[in-house]
Amino acid sequence: METLYNVLIDPFVQMYGMPDFFLQVLWEGLVSGVLYALIALGFVLIFKSSRIFNFAQGIMVVFAALSLVGLHTFLVPFVGNEFVAAAIAMPLTLGIMYALAMSVERVVLRPLVGQPDIILFMATIGITMFLIGFGEFVFGGENKVMITEALGIPTGAIEFEPFGGFLLLEEKDVFAVVMAIVLVISLLVFLNKSAMGRAIRALGDDHTAALSVGISLSTIWVLVWFIAGVIALATGVVWGARAGVSFALEVIAYKALPVLMLGGLESVSGAIIGGIAIGLLEKVFEIYWGQPLFGGNTETWFAFIFALIVLLFRPQGLFGEKIIERV
Amino acid sequence: MKHFTNLGKAVAAGALAVAMSTAAMAADGLNFPNLTYRTGPFAGTGTPIMNGQRDYMLMLNERDGGIGGVPIDYIECETGYNTNKGVECYEKTKGAALVTQPWSTGITLQVMPRTNVDRIPILAPGYGFSPMSDGDTFAWAFNPPVSYWDGAYMILDYIAGGDMSSLKGKKIVLLHLDHPFGKEPIPLLEKLAEMHDFKLVPIPVGLKEMQNQSAQWLQIRRERPDNVVMWGWGAMNAGAITEAVKTRYPMENFIGIWWSGSDADLQNVGAKAKGYKSVSFNAPGNFPVLEDIRKHVVSKGNSEIKSEADMDTIFYQRGIIISMILAEAAKTAQDNFGEKNINAEQLRWGLENLDITAARLEELGMKGMTPPLKMACDNHTGHSGAWMLEWNGEEFVQASDLLTPNRELIKPLELEKAADYAKNNAPWPGRGDLACN
Repeated sequence: METLYNVLIDPFVQMYGMPDFFLQVLWEGLVSGVLYALIALGFVLIFKSSRIFNFAQGIMVVFAALSLVGLHTFLVPFVGNEFVAAAIAMPLTLGIMYALAMSVERVVLRPLVGQPDIILFMATIGITMFLIGFGEFVFGGENKVMITEALGIPTGAIEFEPFGGFLLLEEKDVFAVVMAIVLVISLLVFLNKSAMGRAIRALGDDHTAALSVGISLSTIWVLVWFIAGVIALATGVVWGARAGVSFALEVIAYKALPVLMLGGLESVSGAIIGGIAIGLLEKVFEIYWGQPLFGGNTETWFAFIFALIVLLFRPQGLFGEKIIERV
Repeated sequence: MKHFTNLGKAVAAGALAVAMSTAAMAADGLNFPNLTYRTGPFAGTGTPIMNGQRDYMLMLNERDGGIGGVPIDYIECETGYNTNKGVECYEKTKGAALVTQPWSTGITLQVMPRTNVDRIPILAPGYGFSPMSDGDTFAWAFNPPVSYWDGAYMILDYIAGGDMSSLKGKKIVLLHLDHPFGKEPIPLLEKLAEMHDFKLVPIPVGLKEMQNQSAQWLQIRRERPDNVVMWGWGAMNAGAITEAVKTRYPMENFIGIWWSGSDADLQNVGAKAKGYKSVSFNAPGNFPVLEDIRKHVVSKGNSEIKSEADMDTIFYQRGIIISMILAEAAKTAQDNFGEKNINAEQLRWGLENLDITAARLEELGMKGMTPPLKMACDNHTGHSGAWMLEWNGEEFVQASDLLTPNRELIKPLELEKAADYAKNNAPWPGRGDLACN
């Protein structure tokens, strides 16, 4: 009886009894969800255009963040000003991500055109290993501080007093949410309104047909990997601003896997809605059910169980396309 | 047939070459492998410590020609703090090894049974399994100068102001990595909670949640604990301190174990973390030994540190202490056996009979850097105590006199758990043929 009370009644009593705390839980869930969605978007874009599950997305987040911080540290003594150094380091980092996209296309993907998907997937594991080694060789393995203030990201907090309690929003979290929204809208506009965006979608729908009308596979792959690099940089900046830049950021990419299971590997809107849904649900479950009933740390498994339950009913995910193949 | 003969000769020549090179390696010097983790999510903790360890050994080679005139062969094998890789590294390096330094509680527990067979001492300073202190059960394992249970006791003693009964009615959160290391203090803390009637709330942090601990800190906000004790490693520390600042938890009530007290972990929040504390078996300062390292290693470009400022950090200096303990054990063994090229069994004896006095620390240029340390057959830890350090917004400063663990309380628990371990891993050799002298 007590268990039933703890499962069915007590969590809602707590939500009602401490509404300001419940709002804080929702806000933290939303911020996590938006960041999961950002990482998942990187996976979706590459899968959509090339049917490659990019295992390297996580390390790209680390590599982009490390490049930005490393370049900034290198430039500050020369230019003598943190803000100017950041203004130069940002486009240079984008240049590095572009060079990475070009290299991946030339060295890894082009020789493997026409190979089975699993070969391409294994190649992205190779890219991961290379970036880990190269990143550690160039930047070292120590924790680094994200150049939050030099980038103009606000670092204060906004306090509210709803229902006589308190709700605290970190300005850098607000920035992360706003930046993610702007990035997603820009991406959707680009994919739907520009010729290149339509070419990416065409490649995702039918490779052979897209190639037959003159769409360049190489150009699109470079472009898509570059966009994934930009998303990685944005993710690295906002995650890095929260807890520093280290190779531990790579682990966060694994949080995107249940988002992809839930939202579907080909759907941009699936990544966004899936990310936010998982962020919110896992946080609410952890606080009101996980900690009292399971001793906490349910975030490590909740999203996977939730996604598996969804897959039982919709194997293609909430927004994925149902693939029917003639055999 | 001729091909086979040639092949046979080649194999024989190769085997001879390998045998000769192994013998040469053994004779080359004192082989001290270190299973490092300079890469991966825990590199933030590992890199500065390994730099300190390595630089001290290089300094001894440059300044003194090694230990007792025998050069040190310091070898790193990278594990990334991964238990499987750690076991591989142990197997790879054990050939000529005089010691193994596994560098994670998980790896320590995995290699411990093997070291009994391979007869190689484990040196796990400030980590590993607290009952390792019982040398009669764990003859080959050493965890000087203090164990995790010592650390847990000293933290609570500091919180209680020396009077444990004052903890009655308090609520203390243990924020810990969900890993063997993070769970290590729980048995002692549970015992203390029962004895002194305070509420212990363990809150685990998963590996994937290290950098996003909002759920854990929401729980802390809801629980409103009097104190938070952290058992964090690597990226978990910076994540927790950032969230504590965000949650506006009073930093003066937030104390970490010695692996949660790296300068780099605090730099992300800087002055906002003022008041945060960490118990530590090394105190910060400008000690003469640093000048020798600067002169013989850093200025010659042989160190892996990024700048000389790294030498002032707590973790770099802790690395020096750890290598000093090993070097002093080797010297103790050389002096006792009258042999310069000691073997692993002799080094084990050196560790068991290690006595680093205050006078010896002064000779080493380390007076006040770490407490004097004395080990024995039934005391493979030393339990020499630690200081509380406090973050002043820019760096850690010493915030207490030397704290010491309550051995009368902890030792029975160590013996009980050591006996449990031996029973669960039967037949466990214990001290076996090793005499205590």
